[in-house]
Amino acid sequence: MADVRARIRGVARRAVERSPLGELARRVAALESEIEELRQQNLRLAEIADVVQELLVPLSSRDQAKVDAAIEKFSKGL
Amino acid sequence: MPVSVLSVDDAGLTLSSADEVILDVLFDGRRIWSFWLLRDSRPKGSNRRIAWAASLEKFLDGQTRLGVVEHLSGRVLYDEETRFGSGNGRIAVVNDEGKPLGIDKSGRMAQTFDTRSEEHVAPLLDSIEEVLAALAEAGIEAFPAYGTLLGAVREQHLIGHDSDADLGYVSRHGHPYDVIRESFRLQRRLAEGGYRITRYSGIAFKVDVVEGDGSVRGLDVFGGFLSHGSLYLMGEVGTPFRREWIFPLGTCTLEGRTLPAPAEPDRMLEAMYGPGWKVPDPAFHFETSRQTVRRLNGWFRGTRVFRDDWERRYSSRRDRLPDLAPSGLAEYVVAQEGVPGRIVDVGAGRGGDAVWFAQQGASVTAYDYVPTASRAVQRRAEARGLDLAVRRLNLLEWRSAFAEGARLAHQPGPRTVVARHLADATTRFGRNSLWRFASMALRDGGRLYTEYWVEGGEERALLRRLRPSAVRTELIGHGADIVHEETFDAPGEPGRRIGRTVAQWRT
Repeated sequence: MADVRARIRGVARRAVERSPLGELARRVAALESEIEELRQQNLRLAEIADVVQELLVPLSSRDQAKVDAAIEKFSKGL
Repeated sequence: MPVSVLSVDDAGLTLSSADEVILDVLFDGRRIWSFWLLRDSRPKGSNRRIAWAASLEKFLDGQTRLGVVEHLSGRVLYDEETRFGSGNGRIAVVNDEGKPLGIDKSGRMAQTFDTRSEEHVAPLLDSIEEVLAALAEAGIEAFPAYGTLLGAVREQHLIGHDSDADLGYVSRHGHPYDVIRESFRLQRRLAEGGYRITRYSGIAFKVDVVEGDGSVRGLDVFGGFLSHGSLYLMGEVGTPFRREWIFPLGTCTLEGRTLPAPAEPDRMLEAMYGPGWKVPDPAFHFETSRQTVRRLNGWFRGTRVFRDDWERRYSSRRDRLPDLAPSGLAEYVVAQEGVPGRIVDVGAGRGGDAVWFAQQGASVTAYDYVPTASRAVQRRAEARGLDLAVRRLNLLEWRSAFAEGARLAHQPGPRTVVARHLADATTRFGRNSLWRFASMALRDGGRLYTEYWVEGGEERALLRRLRPSAVRTELIGHGADIVHEETFDAPGEPGRRIGRTVAQWRT
C-alpha cells in the first residue's frame, strides 16, 4: 500500500514539475537565488570601499612605518 | 483536561495535556528551566514526553526538591523530593565559582538575572549607560533592545530569566550598503576608545566592557534601518514601521535608571515579540519569517560561519600545549626547502606547527579565526624568545584578508605559506579568500603548501571532503601554478585519504 502511495506521489510530483506551475516554481527559486546573490554584494562592496578609504592612501606611502601603523589601526578596528 | 505530570525519570518528564502551557521547572524552589509543553515535547501514546534540556543533563546526579509549575497561573503540578542518577548530595546548578545558573531564553546555562542582587545588576546598568554614551558620541542614537527593552517597558526591571543585555539602533541611512559602512566606522570609533569588539555580522557586534571588579561583560549592539516603509533590525525584525515610532527617541526606566527608548516602545516590542509581548514567556522562541531571515542573511550575514564551533572546540584547551611534534606537512615543507626563513601558518589552530617552525629558527606568523586557541603556545614562544607572532585572520571578511595580505605584501622577500586542514574547514568563499591571501603573501616568491581531507575514514567535526581537482581549479583561477599534487593515506588511518597541493605565483 505504502508502495502504491509513494508511486502516486511520484507521478503527481513529476506532473507538477512538468506543468506551468512547476516551471513557475523553478523560476521563483532561481529568482530568489539571484536576489540573494545581489543582496550579498552590499556587504562585499562596503568592505572594498572601507579598505580603499582606510588603506589605499597610507599604503601608497613609501614610509614603511606609516604603512604598518595604518594596517595595525585598521586591523584593530575589525 | 488539565495539565499534569505523570512521571519523572533521569531522561525527562512525561506529562498529559491537550492545551499549550508554559511550564517552569524548579530545583529546590529555584527556576532552572522553562518550556512550552506542546511545542517542545513529543507525543508518547496519548501523553507528552520531554527530555531534560541538554545543558541541564550534567547536573542531574543527586537529590533535589523538584517542582513543575505553570508559569502564568503559578499552579503547582509537581513538588516532590526527587533523586537523579546515583548521587546522594543536593543537586547544585551552579558554575565553577558556585554562582547559581538557570537556562536562559537561548537555551544556554547562564547566570540569569533572577538570581542576582542589586549590587550584581548595578555594574550591568553602568555598562549599558557607558556603551550608550560611547555610541551617542559616535553619532548613534541607541536604546535598550529585545529582552532589555521588554523588561524596561513591561516590568521596569531586567527580566528574571534573561542573562544578558542588548542594545539596538536604527540608522539614519536607508540602504544596507550605507548601514554596513556606518557600522564599520562605528566599530573603529569604539575600538579607538579602547573597547574590544567582536563583530557578528555587517551591522551587529558585541562590545566588551570591563566592570569594576575586572570581569568582562559583552553587550550586543544590533543595527537596523528603515527601508520602503519597513524596519529591519538585526537579528529578528522585518516589519512595516514608521520613522516617527522611533524618532525622536523617548525614555524608559530600567532598575530605576532612565534610558533612551524608541518613541513608541510598544510598537517596537510588537515588532520584536509579536502582539503577545505583554505576557511573560521564559521559553520564548523567535519565529522570524523566512523572508526576513533571507533578507538579513543576504544583506549582512556570512562572516562568522563555523566561528562558534571553533570557539567551542578550543574553549577548554586554550591553556594546554598541543602536541609539539611537527605535522606531516611541516616535515614535508622542510624536506623540500629546508627550514624556511619566513613561515606564514594560516589556520594555525593551537599552534603546534607554528611553534615547531619557530623552534627550528624560522620567523613565523600564525593566523587563525580564533587566535586565542594558541594561547599556551604564545606563552611558550614568549618565554623562549621565539620569533612567533599570532594574528587574527577571518577569511570570510575581505577586510581582514586584504589588510593582512597587504601587510605581508608590504614586507618584501619570499616566504612559505602553509595551510593544513584549512581549505577543508572553511566555505568556498573562505577558500577563495585563502588563495587570494596566499597570492598577496607570496608576491615576492615562495610557495603555498596545503593539506586537506579528500575522502575515507571517519567524519571529523568541522572538516568537509575536498577534491584535489577542485583545489587545483580554484588555485589556477587565482593565478597560481600547481607545483605538486598528491594524495596519500593519513598516517595510522588506512583509507583516510589526504590531499596535498603545492602552488606558487609567478613574480
